[in-house]
Amino acid sequence: MDGQRVPLYWPRPDVRGKQAGLINLRMSDHKLLPAWREQSLGRRGFLRVSAATAATVALVAAGCTTDPPEPVKVDPFLLTLPTTDAGLFFFAYLLAIAQATVFQKVADTPPTDFTATDRAVFTDLRDHAVINRELLRRIIDPTGAAALLPADFAFSLASLTLTTRAGALAAAQQLADLAAAAYPTVLPLLSPAALLPRTLLLKMSSVHARHAATLRDLRTPGSFAADDAVFTTGLFAGQLRTKTPLETLAVLAPFFAPYVISAGNLPLPV
Amino acid sequence: MKLISLLDQLAAAPASAAAPRRALLQHLGRAAMAALPLAAALPAAASTKDTAYDALTQLLLLERLQLALYARALAAPGLIPAAQTPDFQRLRTHQEQHVAFLTQALQTAGSLVPALPTFDFSGRRGVAANPELFPGVLSNYDAFLALAQQLEDLGVRLYKTHAFAIVNDAQLTNAVLRLHAVEAQHSAHVRGLRQGRGAVVATWPSDADAVIARPAAAQVLTTAATGGEENIVQYLTPGKPIVFSEFLLIRDNTAIHDSALPEAFDEPVNSAIAQAALNLFI
Repeated sequence: MDGQRVPLYWPRPDVRGKQAGLINLRMSDHKLLPAWREQSLGRRGFLRVSAATAATVALVAAGCTTDPPEPVKVDPFLLTLPTTDAGLFFFAYLLAIAQATVFQKVADTPPTDFTATDRAVFTDLRDHAVINRELLRRIIDPTGAAALLPADFAFSLASLTLTTRAGALAAAQQLADLAAAAYPTVLPLLSPAALLPRTLLLKMSSVHARHAATLRDLRTPGSFAADDAVFTTGLFAGQLRTKTPLETLAVLAPFFAPYVISAGNLPLPV
Repeated sequence: MKLISLLDQLAAAPASAAAPRRALLQHLGRAAMAALPLAAALPAAASTKDTAYDALTQLLLLERLQLALYARALAAPGLIPAAQTPDFQRLRTHQEQHVAFLTQALQTAGSLVPALPTFDFSGRRGVAANPELFPGVLSNYDAFLALAQQLEDLGVRLYKTHAFAIVNDAQLTNAVLRLHAVEAQHSAHVRGLRQGRGAVVATWPSDADAVIARPAAAQVLTTAATGGEENIVQYLTPGKPIVFSEFLLIRDNTAIHDSALPEAFDEPVNSAIAQAALNLFI
């Protein structure tokens, strides 16, 4: 049939309202055509028709039907980190939220078997983590006015035993080790254009390593920079075992449930 | 540090460099000027002009110095208590690995590896008639720990200074950042050991730390190790200090103790001051 020369779906003026629902047209509409064959399209009409033809061809080629599309379900619990530097700062912010939540809880309600030294250390850890968290928040959102996360987003403490010294130190060490391991991979991913915030993160990174060593030594004296934290052999011998943002988020994932953090936009470590 | 390139910078330093230079002099505070003819005369910006070669050789010198200190301390009979011997064996092993890594990095780049200096931990710089600046570091455990802490603190700061000096080798930059973190764990541990011996010291540089007493001629070591750690002025925008009091509030349960603000940030060190401190042992 000659539908290619005279597009099949060009509506009559009285059904032009259907134009918006282009993909709703059915083959049955073709019976409208004969009465319109003789009409000239005109330049504007031609352009519209050819564009619409191209769109339909593309839809069909892409395997799409011309039926109404199913609405895409937006996962309300999926949080996708932004691209580039902003995503890395947000990643560091989530890490700071995790640390600050645990340190705050332990500092507020210390386990009964905590020593005076333990309590003093956790007071400092809490302060440092709050500074990190609030500063990162300002880096992401300089006005401090935006809601960066859903209101019910939280780091869950439910799976942690923070009522005993052993449990509190184990949880705190896990997070301090995580931050110490994450920063050396995040820092080189930041663009040189972010010089000042990158410098601040560099200044924080060694404090994270100090926290890790402090908590390790509190938990098991002499376990600072132990073999599970530092490479023992090979080219990297004597260097910290680091974690990529993806590896770090995998550790944090159970604590942020039901929210899921997607790091798909973050730059990849080299 | 390349003396020639630094002297070039001195000659080229514009008149406006006077202000930072004054700031540097103020910053040095009680430091004995006689001990740092080079460092004191340098423009403050000199530290940012270090080449990757300057950075790697200076880090290598520091690691070699730390390795020599731990090796000699472990060999000194009765200096390190048996309970802490494994700790210092680990520190020595790490420093050995760091020296090997940095040496290999220089060799791989086809660069000259500087000759190993003869280190003198007395501070006499190899001349018996010179006054002893660090008495007892290889016979008194507390004196040894104090020096170890200052060198580890200096290590953390020097790695920070040079972290992004290696602009054309991403793998090497990553390695420097991993080494930086290990130095920080070392520093925290040595500080913890001093705490256990009754010293007033936190596992991170703190205003509350008791000052490690040094003769004037050795003051530059203290300046290099912790000078400026009391800094509470940080920047996100050039020339506009972050107003922490805007977002650390009692209302939001984000208030902190005043002492915590400088503790939350470890500071870098001017590489010329670091070199002046390292030179005390050569």
